[in-house]
Amino acid sequence: MSRLRIFLSSSIFSFKAQFHWLNPPMWLTMKFVLSVSQMAFFVFVGLFIAGPEAIPFIAIGNSLQSVSWNTIFSVISITGHDKWDGTLPLVLATPASRLPLFIGRAMIHILDGILSVAISFFFAAFLFGVNFAQTNVLALTLTVFLTAFTMAGFGLLIGGLCFHLRNPMVFANIFTYALLLFCGVNFPVQNLPQIIQPISYIFPLTYGVTAARNAIAGATLFDVSLLLGQQLVVGLVSLMVGYFFFQLFERTARKTGKLEEL
Amino acid sequence: MPEALRVIYSAFRMAMLHWFADPQWVIPNIIAPFIFTSVALTLFKDSTGPFGLYAVLGGGMMGMWGNTLYASGFAIEMERWQGTLEEVMAAPSKLLHVVAGRSVSNAVFGLTNMLAVFLIAVLVFRVQIEVDDPLLFVTTTVLTLVSVSTLGLIFASAFVLSRSTQVLTNGLETPLYIISGSMFPIALLPFWIHPIAYVLGPTWGVDAIRLAASQEYLSQTFWQGFDVNTAILLDVVMMMAITLAYAGMAVVLFKVVEKRARIKGTLVEA
Amino acid sequence: MGETGSQPDNASGKAIVAEHLSKIFTRTKGTVRRTKSQIVAVKDVSFEVDYGELFGLLGPNGAGKTTTIKMLTTMLIQTSGKATVLGYDTQKDFTKVRQRIGIVLGGERGLYTRVSAIDNLRYFADLYGVSPSVRDKRVKELLQFMGLWDRARDRVETYSKGMKQRLHLARGLINDPELIFLDEPTIGLDPEIARETRQMVKELVEKGKTILLTTHYMFEADELCKRVAVIRNGEIVALDTPSGLKKYVTDARVVEVEGFGITEKEIAKFRELPEVLSVSADLGENKQILKIQTPKGSEIISEVQEILKGSRIYDIKIKEPTLEDAYLRLVEK
Repeated sequence: MSRLRIFLSSSIFSFKAQFHWLNPPMWLTMKFVLSVSQMAFFVFVGLFIAGPEAIPFIAIGNSLQSVSWNTIFSVISITGHDKWDGTLPLVLATPASRLPLFIGRAMIHILDGILSVAISFFFAAFLFGVNFAQTNVLALTLTVFLTAFTMAGFGLLIGGLCFHLRNPMVFANIFTYALLLFCGVNFPVQNLPQIIQPISYIFPLTYGVTAARNAIAGATLFDVSLLLGQQLVVGLVSLMVGYFFFQLFERTARKTGKLEEL
Repeated sequence: MPEALRVIYSAFRMAMLHWFADPQWVIPNIIAPFIFTSVALTLFKDSTGPFGLYAVLGGGMMGMWGNTLYASGFAIEMERWQGTLEEVMAAPSKLLHVVAGRSVSNAVFGLTNMLAVFLIAVLVFRVQIEVDDPLLFVTTTVLTLVSVSTLGLIFASAFVLSRSTQVLTNGLETPLYIISGSMFPIALLPFWIHPIAYVLGPTWGVDAIRLAASQEYLSQTFWQGFDVNTAILLDVVMMMAITLAYAGMAVVLFKVVEKRARIKGTLVEA
Repeated sequence: MGETGSQPDNASGKAIVAEHLSKIFTRTKGTVRRTKSQIVAVKDVSFEVDYGELFGLLGPNGAGKTTTIKMLTTMLIQTSGKATVLGYDTQKDFTKVRQRIGIVLGGERGLYTRVSAIDNLRYFADLYGVSPSVRDKRVKELLQFMGLWDRARDRVETYSKGMKQRLHLARGLINDPELIFLDEPTIGLDPEIARETRQMVKELVEKGKTILLTTHYMFEADELCKRVAVIRNGEIVALDTPSGLKKYVTDARVVEVEGFGITEKEIAKFRELPEVLSVSADLGENKQILKIQTPKGSEIISEVQEILKGSRIYDIKIKEPTLEDAYLRLVEK
């Protein structure tokens, strides 16, 4: 919710104008505070309800989920930002292929997302005592990277779906929070009602979270490869669907001339 | 004095008008509490104990507070962008009264958020909420709301001066949920956090609300050895004392902020 | 802060007394390396405004007009100097000042666009302490006066620019102030609407209000104001009636004489006149044109006729100095 307000104010105003005061030290502070407080919240809730065994599960889950703020939110805000700024028509007018264009822009957020996960792992280890001693570094690194990448693709999907809305930020907010419920972040997917469980597997994060837990417990790259493969597929599908929606939207906009208003 | 009330009411009315103009803004305020509550409730499904009460009350608290504390910041930001903040500050009325009026409207929305979370918990998650003493429950809820609103006034004074303050305090939201013991007992937290928790008025309010809802909670309250009603009373007294202190601070802060804004001229940009 | 019970200091009998007001802003720039800089918005401004006067503050953008108005309307505290408005000190008795003045900053912003005009005015009426018995009636009267009554319940976001400007004016009058500050009231408006606005301003003065108006339109100041202060780079460079200001213009007017039979002899005679700064001639076959630069202007015509009595004069043009020239001269320096 707090992030919504940050991003809402920035989507209403120009991004740069808003952040002129946000010097690097402050940005870093925000990053640290936000990720640790969400993790702390759920760790304590988990501790209270399910006992100390829940802590590593929840801490790792939240660490991976922190990637979603940067990826989903940011990808949507890129396109939302373009819309508000009035530059989107110009951007879409260039013959450059859309896909690399958006991926290029998303890249910085993917990297930012990976950084968030790293910071969260740091907190998980030193504040909440999660044991990283058995970690298979290669497996974990690849998992984190792939999760960030596929979640960016997922962000594109959401961006494409709610592009025509007046307030895409609200949806971004809903989705980022929904991940906490559906992706096995705070409890296994099996805890959810049977009917709902399939939904979890639409999100690339679901696979990433499980793979990360396994990798930290010592699973090798080979062990997690199935999960990562599934994640990649889901991620690519959302990327393509998202891309399709953008194309569709663009075509509609050209027909109706409604680009600016939307 | 009546003039102050008139200003407060007018600001309240203006805030309500804006809400009716854009009711969809209520959604962001419910999402986090709803999700957090759902997570807690799903975690709780296989366990025993008073967790249900904690989860639902906790979520309700979050729904109530998120809106109350930070909506004023957002509203001030909107006013700054619209150019009306300048004009409001140029008027003879005290800014404190204007913001207080808005806080009241936020409190009202906070209550509706709380109700929404409760409804979802009962209907979707089939949590059984039995309230031992409904009258006390409602009273303590309203009083806690007052306490949170007053705390929000203090934040609002900082928002007037600068945008950066607003974003900084946004980051305090989740920590506040943690420290106030809304979704889990403070006892779980590291000992050094406890003093901070007890300085916050709402912490006592949450305790009182829980006691009013369920006698069972008596074993976990701060006031060991007292009976339920006494414990509730003690909680309320603590909370109101702290809230009065907040109110005093708010009065001073607004005077300071107004003067500073007049010196620095940072109402339009910042 | 000594606000309650203080009496207005009306020894001066003036609506506004500005004494050596200055305002310096400190700005911090940069994201990583932060540098502090000082911006002197107003260096030294002093003037007085009488009751019932329409006083103009004229100057280019960035000259300090808005800052000066903000200091006079208590929105800014001056770095040094003193301002007394309606007998009250703007720094100490700011609430009393605010109750008695109207401020119209205008523009696209400054209105609650998601609600109606009535709600906007009602809100500000409450903020200005307009008593409830009077409030709704006055809101209606103001909206009628501004020609907005039939759209009064529509959301302000549906209003045109001109309508918004009128609503701004209505808001500035909501507490029936005796002194009104108008900051660039016609900027960005269509000529038609600008004219209407100026007409309204005149009507207000006729009703006995005192008005301080800022503008960068020379003709507007000329048309409306009894006296004008020209401000440039935070200082007042001239303060006079519009006609008084015109005397600041370039010393030389150009008297253009078109005639026949004008020779060097006549030209020499012109040059001998003490008030003539220079004479230039275009001596053609059929026609001669003399350009005589003199501060005397039209007063020199009799001498022209005297010197040229043996020749034929077809036309004499005298280019009178405009206030525009005066203003440009003053703000260019």
